[in-house]
Amino acid sequence: GGVCVWGSARRPGGRYFPGAPSTYRASSSLPDEKKEFLQNGPELEDFVSGDFSDKSMWTEYKGNLKRQKGERLRLPPWLKTEIPVGKNYNKLKSTLRSLNLHTVCEEARCPNIGECWGGGEYATATATIMLMGDTCTRGCRFCSVKTAKNPPPLDLNEPYNTAKAIAEWGLDYVVLTSVDRDDILDGGAEHFAKTVSHLKERNSKILVECLTPDFRGDLKAVEKVALSGLDVYAHNVETVPELQRKIRDPRANFKQSLQVLKHAKKVQPDVISKTSIMLGLGETDEQVYSTMKLLREADVDCLTLGQYMQPTKRHLKVEEYVTPDKFKHWEKVGNQLGFHYTASGPLVRSSYKAGEFFLKNLVEKRKTKVI
Amino acid sequence: MTVHFINRDGERLTATAKEGESLLEVVVNQNLGIDGFGACEGTLACSTCHLIFEEDVFQKLDTITDEELDMLDLAYGLTDTSRLGCQVCVKKAMDGLTVQVPVEVADMRRELEVENSKIKG
Repeated sequence: GGVCVWGSARRPGGRYFPGAPSTYRASSSLPDEKKEFLQNGPELEDFVSGDFSDKSMWTEYKGNLKRQKGERLRLPPWLKTEIPVGKNYNKLKSTLRSLNLHTVCEEARCPNIGECWGGGEYATATATIMLMGDTCTRGCRFCSVKTAKNPPPLDLNEPYNTAKAIAEWGLDYVVLTSVDRDDILDGGAEHFAKTVSHLKERNSKILVECLTPDFRGDLKAVEKVALSGLDVYAHNVETVPELQRKIRDPRANFKQSLQVLKHAKKVQPDVISKTSIMLGLGETDEQVYSTMKLLREADVDCLTLGQYMQPTKRHLKVEEYVTPDKFKHWEKVGNQLGFHYTASGPLVRSSYKAGEFFLKNLVEKRKTKVI
Repeated sequence: MTVHFINRDGERLTATAKEGESLLEVVVNQNLGIDGFGACEGTLACSTCHLIFEEDVFQKLDTITDEELDMLDLAYGLTDTSRLGCQVCVKKAMDGLTVQVPVEVADMRRELEVENSKIKG
């Protein structure tokens, strides 16, 4: 309902005047508060210029942020993003097609694609490559990746081909990730490790992060990947311990995930460990804080926090849209707790701008044993 | 046919089901408000479509397969009359069936939290 701004006639020099001729419902029939709303509301220019996610409007957002029984929350303005453009982005996109690489960025339609592929201030472009196919052996209630009991067998040439393609691509920092493959004896660890070693052979300067599954707690598999030559070992705990059972597949749990992270460090002390949690699934502040402490105690170096967004109607509803300010709060907490890097924001994802100078800097420091 | 789902919060959801449809399909096709249900899309790779049946109905269901049993074993709040909704197909004799969507860990804790805060506050 309501009058469509597009239908208004624009007078020269002008603001929209209620009562201007239009093919839509006559605004003179509107109640006074609506008239005022329209007069003070966005102009056509605001829509066209893309300033709609103007930060000053975030604090004014009056929509509901905590889900009440039976309702579905509407998307708040700070989760709306711009269409990706830019030289780096376009270059990466066209190279991908010719190299036959699959990125989770595209498959999952990540809204940050423009930012990460564009590279930051230091032009460190990041992309996340998916290995071992697009079908997972588990069904978690927050994830829309396809599931099957027996996904198609692994392509044994994938490690070699992927490494070749990435090296040619000219990326500074690559994240290699995969689905869960409980149908494979080592969970795909060897496949991962081979890809990393091939890659480092071709280009020793590229920074490699592996975002791995939990390998069902198989620490030998974790070791295989940790010793493959990678720079950052990442594995996501996803949520606070109290919600693990609700949101993750029952084969996954907090203790197991923490063990994965600890073991990677144990067998390869130079590696940087990283994890990620989603907010907005019904966790409390106390639970988040206590989880962050547990992670720091396990010597996890980097932490990312992002907003959970419901991928399809079959998945969990969003319990809360956490405000950008609250995310900033967690960033401060993370820094206070001593994480080397806490990336925290509604649209932050595990590999978000992982290649940024900051992290690259950190890895370089580690290499020279300053840290 | 009519099928009733008692949701986790106690709300009764009534839906029309076609003969041969699995209970998961009923939930999805009828857009019932049960979230986080059927995460693996019925491929027996999760236990999120876990449902609790009445004793007499449960006895009449088709025999459970090993694959279903493997996944069902992982379900939270497993009962003696539990099955996975993606494996149970609606038959004419099930008209008027009522099934319970099991309560989960987090919900119970939320309730406890609310209770505790009332005591403190």
